[in-house]
Amino acid sequence: MRRLTEHDEGEINRILSREDEILPSSGFAVSVMDAVRREAAAPPPIPFPWKRALPGLVLGGFALALVFVTVVVAIAQLIRASTSAQFSMSLPSVITPIFGLQRNLEIAAIWTVLVLLVTFVSVKLSMRLASGRA
Amino acid sequence: MQPCVTASCHTIEAESSVSASDDQTDIERVLAGDISAFEGIVRRWQGPLINLAYRFCRDHGRAEEMAQEAFLRAYRALGQWRRDAVFSTWLFALAANLYRSELRRIPARTVSFEDIAEPRDVRASDGGLEDHDRDLAVRRAVGALPAKYREALILFYFHDMDVTTAARSLGLPEGTLKARLFRGREILRSKLPQLLAMPRLKEA
Repeated sequence: MRRLTEHDEGEINRILSREDEILPSSGFAVSVMDAVRREAAAPPPIPFPWKRALPGLVLGGFALALVFVTVVVAIAQLIRASTSAQFSMSLPSVITPIFGLQRNLEIAAIWTVLVLLVTFVSVKLSMRLASGRA
Repeated sequence: MQPCVTASCHTIEAESSVSASDDQTDIERVLAGDISAFEGIVRRWQGPLINLAYRFCRDHGRAEEMAQEAFLRAYRALGQWRRDAVFSTWLFALAANLYRSELRRIPARTVSFEDIAEPRDVRASDGGLEDHDRDLAVRRAVGALPAKYREALILFYFHDMDVTTAARSLGLPEGTLKARLFRGREILRSKLPQLLAMPRLKEA
């Protein structure tokens, strides 16, 4: 590829700096001013209702933190269970599945409660925001 | 006063110094609640803003729409203009930013480099391309450049080859702008070797 020479640069400069100008159409300024007046006449945007939303946001944050903690605890327990399973090989094979099933049911129940709680909070929050706007 | 609507737009810097006090007065009136004072700003800067938009999109109608949106944004953000900066510089930076994002949203209709006409042997053709056609082909080729080089070239030539102002309009360090200008010109050179090597017909 041939490199950019001074002549090329001069040609490009000459061509691109001599661009023809276009004229604004006659009604342009009027149309801009109409838009500006419309903008000025429009009511100011409704600010986000932080005051009303704050309790909901705090609750939501709390629920999220709770979910996070539960997940971390569940993972930790899972890891502990898998390591202790190596030592419980000597236990009778009937007892282990029963304990496992009970544990699974407990975890499922916790998750169900959490999901219901989060749903309840989000529904309450949206209802609160909607009633604030009305 | 109607700056920059007839001949070359490269009197912007001179115009801006002349109109700086007018701008300042109008802005103060607008901020005090006199909306009609904004018309002075629109009338002074409509030409440059439409022409800058046109260089981005190559469509007169769309250029006016984009310029109108730029004026509206300027009106909304007028309170944010700091008096230590020249109003026109602030306005061009705002407009350039808007035009760039508009073009990213809905790209301008451009042609690929392969579709830009270039004679196989310029010297062999009798008369060949007219100067006008050649200039048009180069400008179309600018439109086909990758966005970062295209924007650098557009702003640089719009600001009368002033690197500092163009860099400020793009929010880039001067060194980066220079590098993009160099690379952009190099791509043009590589894509249009014959056109650029062609002697100017009117001078020949």
